[in-house]
Amino acid sequence: MTEQIKTDFEKIVKTSAFSEKDVELKKMYLNKFLESGFPTRKLENWKFSDLSQIIKKNIGELSFYNDYSFPNKVDNSIFVEGLEHNKIVFINGKVEKVDFTYEDHDKIEINDDFKFVDRLEDNNSLFSLNNAFTNKFYKITVKKNYSLKKPLVVYHSTNNKITSRNINLKLEFQLQQNSSLRLIDLFNDEAQNNFINIFYNFDLKENAILKNYKIDKALNKNIRYSYNNIEQDNNSVSETFVLSSGSNFSKNEINCNLKGEYSSAFVNGIFTLNDGQHHELRSIINHLVENTKSYQLIKSVLGKNSKSAYQGKIFVDSKAQKTDGYQLSKAILLDETSEFNAKPELEIYADDVKCSHGSASGSLDENSIFYLMSRGLNYQESKELLINGFLLDVVEKITDTEIKNLVKNMIGLKE
Amino acid sequence: MLKINNLSANIENKSILKDFSLNINPGEVHAIMGPNGSGKSTLSNILSGKKGYEISGEVLFENNNLFELETEERAHKGIFLAFQYPLEIPGVNTNIFLKTSLNAIRKAKGEKELDAIEFLKLVKEKARELKFDEEKLNRQLNVGFSGGEKKKNEILQMSMLSPKLSILDETDSGLDIDALKVVSDGVNTLRSKDNSFLIITHYQRLLDYIKPDFVHVLMNGKIIKSGGPELALELEKKGYENFN
Repeated sequence: MTEQIKTDFEKIVKTSAFSEKDVELKKMYLNKFLESGFPTRKLENWKFSDLSQIIKKNIGELSFYNDYSFPNKVDNSIFVEGLEHNKIVFINGKVEKVDFTYEDHDKIEINDDFKFVDRLEDNNSLFSLNNAFTNKFYKITVKKNYSLKKPLVVYHSTNNKITSRNINLKLEFQLQQNSSLRLIDLFNDEAQNNFINIFYNFDLKENAILKNYKIDKALNKNIRYSYNNIEQDNNSVSETFVLSSGSNFSKNEINCNLKGEYSSAFVNGIFTLNDGQHHELRSIINHLVENTKSYQLIKSVLGKNSKSAYQGKIFVDSKAQKTDGYQLSKAILLDETSEFNAKPELEIYADDVKCSHGSASGSLDENSIFYLMSRGLNYQESKELLINGFLLDVVEKITDTEIKNLVKNMIGLKE
Repeated sequence: MLKINNLSANIENKSILKDFSLNINPGEVHAIMGPNGSGKSTLSNILSGKKGYEISGEVLFENNNLFELETEERAHKGIFLAFQYPLEIPGVNTNIFLKTSLNAIRKAKGEKELDAIEFLKLVKEKARELKFDEEKLNRQLNVGFSGGEKKKNEILQMSMLSPKLSILDETDSGLDIDALKVVSDGVNTLRSKDNSFLIITHYQRLLDYIKPDFVHVLMNGKIIKSGGPELALELEKKGYENFN
């Protein structure tokens, strides 16, 4: 890997217009990545998902060079129908379209100057990799007192021109005081066997509201890693919903710093996996000041040879009295070959807090199936109804009605 | 309608029903009374098709071999079990469930499926008859319902599906007197020369409201005595222990 990555890096430097300073920084990040390489199960965070092995097994040798000198055609058929929305379209990691048609243009600032923000988790080698190779990244600022009229859909598309590639992309969002953003990430892959490495940073000022819905639904053979860092000031709210179902491997990490009083974070997720799929969600909620709240509900339905993992950490600083933290994960194992791993962690240094966690897994309840069948439903229908009900509970947590219905339709959930 | 011939059932090598025989004709109401552990619930489970029992003997329902039918096929043919402990099904809306169930059975019978409007009209009418809180129809199935509400919900389902053979497994337990009366009215409304009932109970009380044609006493997996409604009164007086 080392030779390949160095050659690819040189090639990028040669063909891009980075400043000398940027190249230096990128080199620094490259070296940092090379020191540790892809994470292995030796790291506590990766004990359920050895990324290094997973890449080796599913992709083999990765290449890191992407030719971004020509535009890719945007296929309009990928756009969500029946939902008016703003768009950012990535194709193979390159931004091909930025469209905020529905918004007041002086209320949103889009900045694509290349600048490093170096405050994310430092020992994450994938962050170094991302910084070394991200082609261009955008910072989107929603100005004071402005709520986007329509949701923003970020399309993460790949086309069949690439395979065995590493793709890195990154977005920065700042939500100023009293602003709000509904953001949907939609993954749409034609390409197979790539490793896609995504970093988002959100900066939520006082009273800001972020709703981020990540929809990985279409089956694909890619390996995906996605990291959300969310910084929250007073009274801000973040809601993250993850539908983890399409990729061969996927790991979502949500790191949330509740550093303003009365800020709150919600993380909800659904895994529906089958045939060799392996997905993970890791969340770290840091309650750093008084009166903050977090709530998490994660459910998995696991078919043959599939595996999901949930690592949820609630950290409560000694200053963070009156913290309210909750997390629950549940899994239905549909087959004896399916596997669910949960690692709930509470690290509490304050004494006046309310924190709880729970985790349960098991097969579908045969008595419930018998009850439904005795009412005329066949085995399959009964099973589907129970799974539907199990998952609906999580989808109901989506606070935006329009998007909730969209998600229900996408998963085929019935009320 | 229902012919049970020499039915024996074991679970984990424990014999529960022993050479049990019973014949129910169209329009008849049979009550089976027995102490805890006499095999009452096992009988209702087996008739509805619950798995996990070792069975011998024969059960015919309108000349169909019941053991060749899956649970849902028995429901399609008109067998209904009102559960002793109705299950809570999280995330499944009561109305949606009722509609799915009703249409599955109508479809199997070759009848037209009801659309949303026809269904709502029917369910509201039935709910009113049973004094079942309509607001609960929009809640998750049995989730957070009281014991009495769950039982009423069973009877609501029964009256929606209008089965040929209704098996009521201790439907009276957990009901207060008012609810008992409402539930009994529900059953009595469905009584006809074509519909039959098998009522399983500990107590004579329910039989004050639903007059059975036959009463059977079940002890240790066997019917030890059969008779008319007066048998229930005798049983109530003597108790199971002194009945032999």
